[in-house]
Amino acid sequence: MNLPVAVVLAIFLPFFFAILVPYLERIVKHNIGWFSALIGLISFLLLVLISPEIIRGEVIHYSVSWIPSVGVDFGIYVDGLSLLIAFLASGIGFLIMAYSTEYMSHREDLARYYQYILLFMGSMIGMVFASNTIQLFIFWELTSITSFLLIGFWRNKPQSVYGAKKSLILTAGFGGLALLTGILLLRAITGTFDIPTILADESLKVLIKEHDLFLGTLFLIFIGAAAKSAQGPFYIWLPNAMEAPTPVSAFLHSATMVKAGLYLIGRVHPIFSGTEAWLIMVAGTGLVTMVVAGFLALRQTDIKGLLAYSTISQLAYIMAMYGYTTYQDPSLGVVAATYHLLNHATFKATLFLIVGIVAHEAATRDIKKLGGLRKEMPITFVIATIGALSMAGVPPLNGFLSKEMFYEASVDIGASLGQPYNLLIPMIAVIAGVLTFAYSIKIIDGIFLGKRNDEHLPKKVHDPSIIMLGPAAILAFIVVLFGIFPSIPMSFIIEPAVSGIILEDISIYASLWHGFTVELLMTVVTFGLGIIIYKKYDAIANWQDEFNKKHPTFSLNYYYDEIFGNATENAKKISLKFQVGPIRAYLFPIVLIAILSVLFPIIILSVELTPITFNFETPPYELIVFILIITTAVMAAIIPSYLPAVIAVSALGFLIGIVFIFLLAPDLAITQILAETLTTIIFVLVISKVPQTFKEKIPRNILYRDILISLTVASTVFLIMLYATQGIIEPFESVSHYFLEKSILLTGGHNIVNVILVDFRSLDTLGEIVVIFLAALGVYNLLHSRGERK
Amino acid sequence: MTTLITQTIAKVVVPLCVFLSISLLLTGHDQPGGGFIGGVMFATAISLLYISFGLDDSKKFFNPDWSLYFGFGLLLATAAGIGSIIAGYNLLRTDYTYLQLPLFGEVELSSAIVFDIGVYLVVIGGLLFIFKKMGED
Repeated sequence: MNLPVAVVLAIFLPFFFAILVPYLERIVKHNIGWFSALIGLISFLLLVLISPEIIRGEVIHYSVSWIPSVGVDFGIYVDGLSLLIAFLASGIGFLIMAYSTEYMSHREDLARYYQYILLFMGSMIGMVFASNTIQLFIFWELTSITSFLLIGFWRNKPQSVYGAKKSLILTAGFGGLALLTGILLLRAITGTFDIPTILADESLKVLIKEHDLFLGTLFLIFIGAAAKSAQGPFYIWLPNAMEAPTPVSAFLHSATMVKAGLYLIGRVHPIFSGTEAWLIMVAGTGLVTMVVAGFLALRQTDIKGLLAYSTISQLAYIMAMYGYTTYQDPSLGVVAATYHLLNHATFKATLFLIVGIVAHEAATRDIKKLGGLRKEMPITFVIATIGALSMAGVPPLNGFLSKEMFYEASVDIGASLGQPYNLLIPMIAVIAGVLTFAYSIKIIDGIFLGKRNDEHLPKKVHDPSIIMLGPAAILAFIVVLFGIFPSIPMSFIIEPAVSGIILEDISIYASLWHGFTVELLMTVVTFGLGIIIYKKYDAIANWQDEFNKKHPTFSLNYYYDEIFGNATENAKKISLKFQVGPIRAYLFPIVLIAILSVLFPIIILSVELTPITFNFETPPYELIVFILIITTAVMAAIIPSYLPAVIAVSALGFLIGIVFIFLLAPDLAITQILAETLTTIIFVLVISKVPQTFKEKIPRNILYRDILISLTVASTVFLIMLYATQGIIEPFESVSHYFLEKSILLTGGHNIVNVILVDFRSLDTLGEIVVIFLAALGVYNLLHSRGERK
Repeated sequence: MTTLITQTIAKVVVPLCVFLSISLLLTGHDQPGGGFIGGVMFATAISLLYISFGLDDSKKFFNPDWSLYFGFGLLLATAAGIGSIIAGYNLLRTDYTYLQLPLFGEVELSSAIVFDIGVYLVVIGGLLFIFKKMGED
C-alpha cells in the first residue's frame, strides 16, 4: 500500500468510525467495544506497515495545499518520534478498548464512550503526524476536548464535571492558547508553518535562536507543553482528571495525551535546545515537578490519585531529560527521555489497568481499605508487582534501565554545569527516585500484602476474566521483555525516535548489566533510602495532611478555585461597572470621544486657515426648505408633549428627503421618505400608550450638561460640513469614479447605489440584513420578556 | 383611524404600493430602487393596511408569519453568496447576461437579483414583524 495513504487512513479511520458508532451500537448492542477495538488494531497494523521504512531511517513527508493564501498545508510528517507516540496511541488504545468491554457496565452509554475514545485516538495520531503547526494545533486541541468529554463521562457526578472543566481550562485554555500564540510567533520569525522546513534548515534555526522573540516563543510553546503534560503549576488538573473511567485514565492520562506535551518538547527540541533558556525552563520545571509531585503522591489514599501524582512525577523525569541538553552531548538526555517515555507508558498503563481490576473486583480504590489480596488474586498480584517494581526502577525491568540512564544524564549535565550543580542535580534525581521507590512499594504493599482488610472488602474476591487480565498481562510482558532485552526497543523504536529529535542517525548500545558505575551506586542508594522512607510513609502522609489543614491557602488548587469558582460572580461585578442601565450613560462617553477626536483637529485647522472666505449662494427654494428644517428641529426640541414633538421630528425627516431630491439622489430620497413614514407610524403607536406630556422633571444641572453636549455636537458637525462643502478641507478623491466606470462593465447595472448594495459592497449589505434580523428578534424578546415579568 | 375614508383610500393605494414595490425591486439594478427600498415600500403599504383596518380585523383575512419572511430572506441572501463560491468565484460575486424577451426587448438579467430578493424579504419580514409585535402589545 502507498505509505502516505496508510498514514492518512490510520488518522481518519478512527474519526470515520466514531461517526458510525451510535448506529452500529443499535445493531450489535454492547459488543460495540470489540468493533471499536478492531479499529484501534487496524490503525496499529497500518502503522506497523510503515514502520520498516522509518526504522531504515527514512521519513515520510507528504502534503497537499490547504489554505495556500496563508501558507497552511495539510500534510503528514512521519519520523521515529511521531511513530513512537502513534504506536502508543493505537496500541494501548486497542488494549484499552478490549479491556473496557468487560470493565464498562452494559448499562452505560457505551456508544458515547467508544465514540469519544475513537475520536481521541484519531486526534492523537493526527497530532503527532501533523507536518504543519496549525494542523498540529487543531489536533492538539481536539485531544484536549475529547479528554474533557471523557473526564466528564459520568455527567451526573459533580466531581467529574469539576475535573473535566479544570482540565479543559488548563490544557485547552491556558496551554492551547499559549501554544497557538507561540506558533504564530514562530511563524513571524521564520515565515513558515511547515515543521519539516524549519527542522531541515540550519540557517532558520540560527535565525530563531538569535531573534528578539526567541524567549517569548519558547516560553509560550513551553507553556502549551507543560499544561498538557501537567508540569509545573499546571499539574493540578491531572489528579482531578482521575474522575474519568479507569481505562480512560490509563489511556489518556498516563500513556498518551499527557505525552503530547513531551512530544511537542521533542519536536521543537532541534529548534530551541542548546540554549540556557531551554535548560532553565524545561529541565528546571522538570526537576522541581518531579520532587514536588513525588512528595505529594505519598499522601494519596486513592490509588488512582497516587498514580496521578506519580504520573506527574514520571513525566517530569522525561521533561527534565529533554531539557538536559545545553552544552554536552545532547543525545544522552534525549535517548534516556525517549526510552523512559516508552517505558512509562507501558508500566503506568499496566498499573492503571490493575487499579481498574482491583476497583472492579474489590469495589474500592482506597488504599486504607485494601490489603492482603495476593492469595485471592494471584495473577493480578504478579502483574501489579511487575508494573510497580519497574516504576521503582528494580532490575531486570525496563524502568530500571531508563532510571539508570536518567541518573547518568543527571550526573553528566551536573558535571558540565560545574559547581554547585554537579552535586545538586544528581541529588534531586536521587530524591525523586527515592520517592518513586516508596510509593511504588506502597502500591504492592497496600493492595496485595499484609493482612486482609475483611471489614471493608467483599467476602469473595477473585482474579477477573482473561479479557481484563489480557491487556494488563501483555503490557507487563513488554515491561519484562524490554528490560531483559533492551536492544529490541533500542534498535526498533528508540533509535529512529531519537534520530527524529537530534536529526542525526544514532546507534545506541544498551544492556541490562553495564558494569559498576556511578549510576549503579546511585540506584543502590535510592533503594536504601527508599526503604527507610517507606518505613516513615504514614508519618509523612499524616504530616502533609496536618500541614494542609493548618495552611489551606498554601495550595494551587485553592487559588484555582478562588479564580474559576467565583468567575461568574467576579464577571458580574466588573460588567456592572460598565453596564449601568440608562441609555444616556452610554451615549455620553460615545459622543464625547467622537466629538473630541474631531473637534481638536478642526480647531487647529481653523487657526491655520484664518482668514477664511465663505460662499453662501443658495437658490431661494432650497433656502425655504432649510429654514423649515431649522424650524422643525427647534420645535422638536422645545415642544413639551409627545405627539407634536414626534410630528415635528418626522416633518424634519421628510424635509431632509426633499434635500436629497435637490442633490439628485432619488434612491436616498425614496428611502428617507419611506423610512420616515414607518418610523412615524411606529412612534405614534408607541406613544399612544404613554402619557401625552413629559412628566419627568429633568434636574437643572443635567439639563445644562445635555444642552452643552448637544451644542458641542451640533457646532462640530456644522464646522465639518461647512469646511467640507466650502472646499476648505482638501477633499478626498471621490470613490464614486471607480463605481461609475466599473458598474456597467462588471455588473451590467446602471443604478450605482443599488449596484454598490448588491455587488461591490454586498458583504456589508449581508451584515446589515443580519442586523435587521437580530433587531427583529431583539424586539420580540424585549416585548416577550416584559410580558413574562408582568 | 379605522374610518371609511382611510379604508377606501387604503384599498386603492395598498395594491398600487405593492405593485410599485415589486417594480422597484425588479428594476433596481438599472433605475432608482432595489431590494431595500422595495422592501420598505412594501412594509409601509402593509402597515397602512394594518392601521386603516385595525390589526385584529386585518388578521382575520391576512395573517402571515413575518418571521418566516426574514428567515427565508436571510437564507436566500446567504445562499446567493455561497452559490457564487460553488460556481468557483469569490463570495457574493455576481454575473449578468442580456436576454431577448418578446414585448420587452433586450433585458439585462443579473444574478444579483437573487441576493436583492433576499434583502427585500428580510426588510419586509423584519419591519413588519416588529410592527405587528408592537401593535399587538
